[in-house]
Amino acid sequence: MAEAILSFSKIIKPNAPTSCLQTTRLDLNSLSSKSLRQSYSSSGFSHGCQKIEGSKNKRAELQKMRALPDLTLMAVLVEHMEGQRDMITHKSIWHLSDVAMKNVYTFYIMFTCWGCCFFGSTKDPYYDSEQYRKDGGDGTGHWVYEKQEDIEETARGALWREELIEEIEQKVGGLRELEEAGKKEEELVR
Amino acid sequence: MASATSACLLPKPVAPKFPCSPTIVASATHLTNAPFLNNASLSDQLCHAPRPCFRRYAKKNGWLDPFDFGDDPEMEYGSMYSEGKQDEDPRPPESPDNPYGFLKFPMGYGVEVASLGLKIRGDVRRCCCVISGGVYENLLFFPTIQLIKARYPGVQVDVLASPRGKQTYELNKNVRWADAYDADEDFPDPAEYTDMIGILKNRYYDMILSTKLAGLGHASFLFMTTARDRVSYVYPNVNSAGAGLLLSQTFTPDCVNLSDGGYHMYHQMTDWLGRPARGVPREPLPPLKVSISRKLKEYVMEKYTKAGVEKGKYVVIHGIQSDSKASMQSRGDTDSLLPIQTWAEITSTISGVKPVFVIPHEKVREDVEDIIGEEASIVFISTPGQLAALINDSVGVIATNTAAVQLSNAREKPCIALFSSEEKGKLFVPDADVKKCKIISSKTGVLADIDIETIKAAVQIFERPLALV
Repeated sequence: MAEAILSFSKIIKPNAPTSCLQTTRLDLNSLSSKSLRQSYSSSGFSHGCQKIEGSKNKRAELQKMRALPDLTLMAVLVEHMEGQRDMITHKSIWHLSDVAMKNVYTFYIMFTCWGCCFFGSTKDPYYDSEQYRKDGGDGTGHWVYEKQEDIEETARGALWREELIEEIEQKVGGLRELEEAGKKEEELVR
Repeated sequence: MASATSACLLPKPVAPKFPCSPTIVASATHLTNAPFLNNASLSDQLCHAPRPCFRRYAKKNGWLDPFDFGDDPEMEYGSMYSEGKQDEDPRPPESPDNPYGFLKFPMGYGVEVASLGLKIRGDVRRCCCVISGGVYENLLFFPTIQLIKARYPGVQVDVLASPRGKQTYELNKNVRWADAYDADEDFPDPAEYTDMIGILKNRYYDMILSTKLAGLGHASFLFMTTARDRVSYVYPNVNSAGAGLLLSQTFTPDCVNLSDGGYHMYHQMTDWLGRPARGVPREPLPPLKVSISRKLKEYVMEKYTKAGVEKGKYVVIHGIQSDSKASMQSRGDTDSLLPIQTWAEITSTISGVKPVFVIPHEKVREDVEDIIGEEASIVFISTPGQLAALINDSVGVIATNTAAVQLSNAREKPCIALFSSEEKGKLFVPDADVKKCKIISSKTGVLADIDIETIKAAVQIFERPLALV
């Protein structure tokens, strides 16, 4: 006869406990067996209990308290037996779903791997070596101190200046020749 | 006088409109008072041909800008940023008093309008040339670079060429950076490709020129550099489909191989670059010139002294057959190398000066020693810079159609150029008489059949100066 139907409801509901007690008293007065049972059940939960008036067929009740949506901190299971006192079971272990457990372990593994890589790499002798830490780089991410193009560019610049100097010398030489020729002419005139 | 001034007041692009109605224009310019010429709408009525020869080069691409109806004939240009060439260096000097390194702007300097020249006049401050081909093609591009330098004063010219072609820019003082990137590669390494795009984009070019025949792929490479003017040759066939969308100026060569054009292989590009603009006459194409640094001369002098010749007392022999990549042939003339046996015959008659055999690879040295003899002067040269320095110190050059011919012309050394046919000779050395260059061509069209006796007769020119001395 002991039908144990679990009903899920929350502890915190806007129902006031006083009204709850009142209804139980009214039920007691009516002396119906069902209402008696219900009065027991509700009296067992006199602190912070609630009762839904429409659910008279419920044989057991489970109350949960959650810290997080997925993390159940405490559960209270109340079983009603015919003609006996109610069995009240408090469970205060954490209840995690399979998915939540999987997530936790995944996170744990990933964190471990990342930690191994990160803290392992900080101990890498290459990053402390001269090869990596020496001066250099041109700010472009190319860690090369002297680029071939740079050398060639400066060589070309030097070439340009060389030619310019040659040109100027030629011009100056021409001018000098002209001057000398002019002087000679002057001497000839004299 | 009045007509002249009124013609000057007109914006320049109107002028080329006139050829379609020359009689009217002639009568109009003969009028002493022609105020109506200032009326742009009337001058429009004079000629209703839309845009004749000003945009001769620009095949108008309606996809690029559907609302581009050409230059506005009613637009009035001042002379400020629209006429003449660009300034050499528009950057104001740095202020010496300023601790933060700010520039010292002269009175009336408008920072906001300082860059207007870039928009109106089309100034080019930084220019990049992507050049396809080897040493020969790059060498023939030198006049174009000089043209760019002259047309856009103060421009910084950079070059992107194949690793071998890049070596040529040892001889060019007008180039700033020369980077090795092979544009001819059909499937470039993705890392290199993206790296090069990044480098070019970072340099903020105003103009990028390309002599590789562009299809959609190369055009998108040029497009991604985000240069303002993307100028390129395109394929003369269906392969050019889609390239015009990404380029601002395209040239269609006569055939698929650009190098077939010979010395003036880039004539379409130089035509466009030297085009007249407002207040700028057509820029003439300068002759090919190379400059050799002192360092290079010293290095090469050491090299040929080791080979046993003195400065000014040898003839350079270039064009020995080998499978080396450094033989500096043109792509337009594949039949341009002679076997060493033929060279032995040619050089056997030379007396007074010593022939110096330029080998492109060390493995050829043995062949030359076998046939010419152990005492032959052999110089191993694979770069155009060293070849130019060697030619510069020589009496003259005997060469097949390799870069040596162009280098000797550039340094004004007497040269005997051996060509497989007369047409090739005319193409690659256009005005041979002026350039002290004697062209000897094969009658059959195959270089190997060339007449040795003619060459032997021609070789005597190298002995004359010594006889005079």
